[in-house]
This record gives sequence, C-alpha cells and structure tokens, in this order.
Amino acid sequence: MRQRFVAAAACAALALSVAAGCGRDSSGGSETAKAVGEGKASGEITVWAMGTEGEKLAEFAKGFTAENPDAKVTVTAVPWEAAHQKIASAIAAKQTPDVSMIGTTMQGEFAKTGALDPTPTDLFQKSAFFPGAWDTTVVDGTSFGVPWYVETRGIYYRTDLAAKAGFPDGPKTWDDLTAMTKAMQTKAGAKWGINLQPPNKTGSWQSLLPFAWSNGADIAAGGKYTFDTPEMTEALQYYQSFFTQKVAPPSLPAGSMEPAFVKGEVGAFISGPWHVGILNDQGGKDFTVAPMPTGKSSTSFIGGSNIAVFKDAKNRDAAWKFLAWLSKPDVQVKWYQTVSDLPAVQSAWTDPALTGDKILKVFGEQLKSAKAPPPYPTWEQVSAVLDTEIEKVCSGREEPAAALKAVQQQADAIGTGV
Amino acid sequence: MTARRDLIARTVLYLILIAGLLVVVGPFLWMLLSSFKPEGEIRSVPPTWWPSHWTLVHYRDLFARLDFPRYFANSAIVAVLVTVGNLLFCSLLGYALAKLNFPGRKALFLIVLGMLMVPGMVLFVPQFVLVSNLGLANSYAGLVLPFLAGPFGVFLMRQFLLSIPDDLIEAARVDGAGEWRIFWRIVLPLCRPALATLGILTFLASWNNFLWPLVVATTDDKYTLPVALALYSIGQNRIYFGLLLAGAVVVVLPVLIVFLVLQRQFLRGIATTGLK
Repeated sequence: MRQRFVAAAACAALALSVAAGCGRDSSGGSETAKAVGEGKASGEITVWAMGTEGEKLAEFAKGFTAENPDAKVTVTAVPWEAAHQKIASAIAAKQTPDVSMIGTTMQGEFAKTGALDPTPTDLFQKSAFFPGAWDTTVVDGTSFGVPWYVETRGIYYRTDLAAKAGFPDGPKTWDDLTAMTKAMQTKAGAKWGINLQPPNKTGSWQSLLPFAWSNGADIAAGGKYTFDTPEMTEALQYYQSFFTQKVAPPSLPAGSMEPAFVKGEVGAFISGPWHVGILNDQGGKDFTVAPMPTGKSSTSFIGGSNIAVFKDAKNRDAAWKFLAWLSKPDVQVKWYQTVSDLPAVQSAWTDPALTGDKILKVFGEQLKSAKAPPPYPTWEQVSAVLDTEIEKVCSGREEPAAALKAVQQQADAIGTGV
Repeated sequence: MTARRDLIARTVLYLILIAGLLVVVGPFLWMLLSSFKPEGEIRSVPPTWWPSHWTLVHYRDLFARLDFPRYFANSAIVAVLVTVGNLLFCSLLGYALAKLNFPGRKALFLIVLGMLMVPGMVLFVPQFVLVSNLGLANSYAGLVLPFLAGPFGVFLMRQFLLSIPDDLIEAARVDGAGEWRIFWRIVLPLCRPALATLGILTFLASWNNFLWPLVVATTDDKYTLPVALALYSIGQNRIYFGLLLAGAVVVVLPVLIVFLVLQRQFLRGIATTGLK
C-alpha cells in the first residue's frame, strides 16, 4: 500500500513538473532523435539495471570497455520491486543516470514525462528486433530506448497426464485446451486441469490478453482503449469457462502451484520461460511447453525489458553506443548465456546456443507474433482496473460482457494519457 | 473456593499468553528454520516445520553475493546517527514546549501537531528534490539529515515532560542551576523511559527503512541492508525464498541481540523513575 502511495505521489509530482513546464520539452508529438557522433565511446556511462541484470552487467560490460578503452561503465543494481519508484523519483529530482533499464509496462509513463531520449535511427534498425518488443518502446510515434531482452507466455503441461488425456502432442486449439484439461481431471487423476493466474493477484491481465489477441481482439485502436468488443467478450467467456467448470482452481496460495504441478495435481499452467528453472529446482520432470492454443491465431504476450537513455544524460553519445553494443546479435547470445535473458534481437536466435533447446524453440516461435499492451502512460492504471474485473468474472460475480463494459467505462474516464 | 478460582484464572491467563506467544514467535521460528531448507522444501505443501535436509546454501549465497559488511555498516551508521539525533533534538524541543515560557510556544506546538497529521509519503518526493538540490543525493548526510528529528518524537517527549513536576525544576533553579544544567542533570535522567521508547522506535524505523535509502542512494555502495536484500532475493518474475529468508534472519538478528542485551537497562529505567 505504502509503495503504491509513493508511486502515486511521485507521478503526481511528475505531472506537476511537466504541467508547470519545469524546463522540459514534453511536446507530446513525435520528437526527432539527434544523431550520435562517430568514433569510439569514451568517458563514464552510469547505468541502472534491475535484479540479476544489475548484478551481472558490470562484469559483462568489460567486453564493451575492451573495445572502447576510454569508456567506463558504472552499474548500479536496483531492486525490481521498487524500480518504478526509484526511476520516477529520480526523474522528478533530475537525478537520473545516463542509462536505465525500463520495464516494458513502465515505458509509456516515463516516456511521457519527457525524460527519455528518442532512439537515434542511425544506430538502430527497427527490423532487427521482434516487432512486438519494438512496439513497447514506441510512444506516440517516437521510439524511446530499445528492447534489451524478451519473454513470452506459453502453456506448460504435464506430458504424462496429457498422453493419458488423449493429447500426447499437447493442445493446438481452444477446444483442445478445454478438452485436454478436463480429461486430465477425469482420465488422468489430476485435481485441477489447469491453473490460470490466480485471479486475486495483480497481473492476471497478462494471462487473459493472449486469449484476447488470439481471438482477434485489439485492446487499443484509433487512439483509445477498446475493451468492449465481441472478440474480447468471447475471450473472457472462454477464460471464465475454466473457472465455472471447475477445471481451474479458484485460487492457490502463492508458491503452492509449482509443487502441485510437479506432483501431478495440476495438469497445466500459463507462464514464461523462467518457470523452467523453478520447475527443475523442484525436481519437475515430464513437462513441456506448447504455444498458446489457436483461436483465430496463436498470439501471446511479450514482456521483458527495454533499456533507454535519459535526456539529462551527461554522456549521451557513449550511452547510445553502449546500447548499440548490447543489441549486437553475438552480445545478445552471450548475455543469454550469462543470465538466461532471451535475446530481443531476432538474428541472435539462429545461434546454436538457442536452437538446441526444445522448449526455447517454442518460445522463440511464439515471440515472432507476440504482442504487447499499448504503451500508453495510463496502462498501469487501466490494467489494474482490468485485473479487478477479471477477478469478478472468474469468481462468478459478474458476466464477461458487463465486466468489459465496466472496464471500458473506467478506461475512457482515465484516458490514454498520450 | 477462591484458591481454586485463582488456579483456573491463572491457567486461562497462561493459555492466552501461550497462544499469544505462539502467534508472535511462530512466524519468526518458521523464518529461522526455513532459512536452512532447500528452495524446493520451503514452498512444499503441506509445509514442514523442521527442515528434512539442512543446508547452509542460502547463507553461503547471501554472503558470497552481497557485500554484507558494507551494507551492514551503512545500516548501522544511519540507524545510530538517526537515533542519537532524535533522542537529543526531540527531548530538547519537547522540554522547551513543555516547561519553558516563550512567545509563540503555543503556535510552535500547533505546528508540531500539524506536522503529525501530514502523511510522510506526501513529503517523499519534495524531500528528495530538496535533498538532491542541496547536493546531498548519494551521501550519508542525505540518508540521515531528514530524519534527525520528527514531530512524533517531539510530541512524545513533550507529553512525558509535562508529567515532571515544575517544583523540581524550580528547586534546581533556586539552587542556582543554569537551564542547560537543569536539562542535562535533572530532566533528562528522569526521561529515561520515554527516551528508551523513542530510541527503540526510531532505531527500528531507521533500520527497516526501505524507500528513502533506495531512492537517495544512486550507487549501490550507499545501499542499506533492506535495500540490498530486496535487490538479490526478488527477481522480475520469481522470488528466491531461501535467500530472502536467510537475509531476513541476518537483518533481524542484530536488532534482536541489541534489544535482548539492553532490555534490562530499559526495564530498570522504567522501574526506578518512580523512586527518584
């Protein structure tokens, strides 16, 4: 609660400073990027990075300083939990570093403050990255920063239970998923066919949206949010059906889903690549990952993180050169080998380090079409509304159509913020 | 009859106390024991109390990955300075508000009361802007200065000081003691229980403070323990429970030891104030 409050206070302060025009040109329209000087990078580059990335980047950046002997990369590790507040406060007080990792869902909000430097087009090729990932950097027609690493969601399932349920190759379509998870309960002895993101947890929209997109829904079109559509309603009805038919548990305590999956009590769940490590830690075997089942298409959610340069950067040119280095395919592969972050650069995926793994291949294929939520500055607010309504629908307290009307109403009231 | 009723009352009392103790100590014990379990066992359902496999891997991880002495020293320096500052400044101002007559005393007290009503979070960003404009971002001064005195401490000390009889202070004045001497030799020793309370509360608040050090420290050599702990144990998509629990044990233990050692002091302070 407290943290939310501070975040809100920081945003309010940001909004004020922008409104008062505290020396920042927050011209909403497309900004033009300045070119980056030629030659090698020099001087100190200060970088903020979260979690494992923050811990390992300093050592990893020695590859960059070897090529640019006059440059020095200073990395500060920032806890994920509080990264949003730290960056928001730093922008408000003009204490930003040269470079920071920016979570994809924070991108819109921070770009809108006018604190991020537009991506120089002479240095980066849009087509080099996964299109869904690149889209997360674009706010109002201008790209701020580049994708650093990506992740996407697939269906984890128990191969032994799936075989008993009559789906040895996993689910291909929506009907398959329903039939397979049901049969896992009736024929294979699983207590629950599938675990869908606990509805009482924030972030359940990340599980719902893949179904919506796979059904042809577009949650933002023509410069506004569009939740109240037939495609979206159908997707939410489908999502709800797992709960009403008691195939999905109403809610599992945090951390108890993985052990239950390993024991075969839960047949499947939706998650990203990091779950492979968690399941292996707990002795999980006989599992694999299937792409999101096809409705009109098989379209998943793309997450991960971007990395951006601040306008107030003391060493702007060197900062962008560092980002260009991080985006090289071979460096992206090496980074994957260092911290298991999946490359955002498409050509990195042809490296044997990535093509050898069966599960990775599924995620790699899924990434090509995966989509991100609209990079509107208000997305965090609107997604919280969506979470609340999903919870009501999954617990059976509201009809999907009514819930989406409510989301639409509130989203319209909040606006896109662009 | 009465003896029996006494026994029943006593038994009930102890049962309630034991239940209370379990509620308070239970989570702590679980944290301590679980920090020795392998990652998989911590999250197993049904949960276990006693680790079936003892392991020190989380502690080894913690000390290998964290520059523990540095973060510990940062936390200790900040917490001690903040506590000392609060004890000194809050009792000084509290004394002035309770016992000295000067123009504007009422207004000053109202301001203090008013500050109590303002939630600290509202001041967070302005305070950070102020600190960084003063050039104190990423310094110990920036970590300590804003917390050296607080309205709560002033209020607490004033209320306590009101209960000290004026006669005592006047007697000292008649005996020829100056204001400083009265405060230092007569008033402060009488305040020991209030000072102990204030000390414990400020130390804990500072030791556990997360947001301020996180935002003010722009490089990680100025991080305090809670910030460092969050850094390594909570990832983007997963939480490393073992590391988190081991870290929590290490963060809690020093405080626990300090208070177990000092507890007698505090109790004596409270017990003897009435006799002086």
